[in-house]
Amino acid sequence: MGLMTVLKKMKQKEKEMRILILGLDNAGKTTILKKYNGEPTNTIEPTLGFNIKTLEHKNFKLNVWDVGGQKSLRSYWRNYFESTDGLIWVVDSADKRRLSDCTAELHSLIEEERLAGATLLIFANKQDLPGALSAEEIKEVLQLDRIKTHHWKIIHCSAYTGENLLEGINWMVSDISARIFTLD
Amino acid sequence: MISVGTKSKMASKRTTATTSAAEHDVSEQISEQILHKKTTISPEDVLKLPNITKGYLCTPDANVYNIDFIRFKIRDLDTGVVLFEIAKPSVILDDNQTEGKVEETDLNSGRFVRYQFTPKFLKLKLVGATVEFTVGSKPVNKFRMIERHYFRNKLLKTFDFEFGFCIPHSKNTCEHIYKFPNLDPEMIKEMIQNPFETKSDSFYFVEDQLIMHNKAEYAYNGGV
Repeated sequence: MGLMTVLKKMKQKEKEMRILILGLDNAGKTTILKKYNGEPTNTIEPTLGFNIKTLEHKNFKLNVWDVGGQKSLRSYWRNYFESTDGLIWVVDSADKRRLSDCTAELHSLIEEERLAGATLLIFANKQDLPGALSAEEIKEVLQLDRIKTHHWKIIHCSAYTGENLLEGINWMVSDISARIFTLD
Repeated sequence: MISVGTKSKMASKRTTATTSAAEHDVSEQISEQILHKKTTISPEDVLKLPNITKGYLCTPDANVYNIDFIRFKIRDLDTGVVLFEIAKPSVILDDNQTEGKVEETDLNSGRFVRYQFTPKFLKLKLVGATVEFTVGSKPVNKFRMIERHYFRNKLLKTFDFEFGFCIPHSKNTCEHIYKFPNLDPEMIKEMIQNPFETKSDSFYFVEDQLIMHNKAEYAYNGGV
């Protein structure tokens, strides 16, 4: 058995991924997380700390961390960067007033050294709301084309209806696994 | 209702190693008496314990971070039904049916609890276990839980999970979704016939030092 085979086997044994969900408060981070786990989403309170879910998806163990997005909590986000394989940035596509705030927070995260290797998925959430900007429009406002350092993708979704949530996580999981679990 | 499923698409397992007592090297064991003499107890120490402990390995005062568990919930992911939920009186419970009940608690410290379940509980396949906790005014680094479940002297499973950092004054939740360990039918029968001989030790560490130790006992003969 060659060394590559051995290494590959070792890696496959621990197919674990750490995914961090961030975004401004009221973007829908916790709703997305609960929807993934089949939990009711009718009463969701602001997250004043974190919500963790550990689940298995496509033979990967996903450890998903949703950290509160209120302004007072954002300075603590850095404590959750370590070992992050994937970052999900959730945008309230109907909250036009705060999109500049959202853009600034995202671009400051992109510069974080400890997130340098992470795959970035941007969810243009709340597409069920009238007046929500499209994924294309959000991409423009958030200046996503400036991002050259990360694999990224924007997907429109609705945490309320569940639309595209699975497509998003599937893209993220396959992008991460292509980066870290394949050696050839 | 949703485009994301819970059963096949998101079938889940816990994140951590499940070990059995037989896999443990005897030379790696450590006795409870020796740990009682130590001033600080590490995760490695408790992972070497061969049995349920008789006493507590730390006092309630060791919890200088004021970490407070305020809710514990178990749901059956195959049906979505909440099987069991217990919360501190200050917390409002969701209006859900619950299957199990709490038999007895140590009201002085909240460190000991007895759970009463029906035999059906041991037949579950996919389970989500949620804990909710609050943190005091100090930031908490490297918060880690190690939970060891035994039937008599047999280690059924070990949960080992690092929550990591906790924000001061925060309220946090963690749900582990896992497949129920495969127990042989003979053992299941014994567990039902011998209430409260299934026991667990929950050890909580901050920066690799033991700060909380809780105990629980389980009966599965409810309604029998």
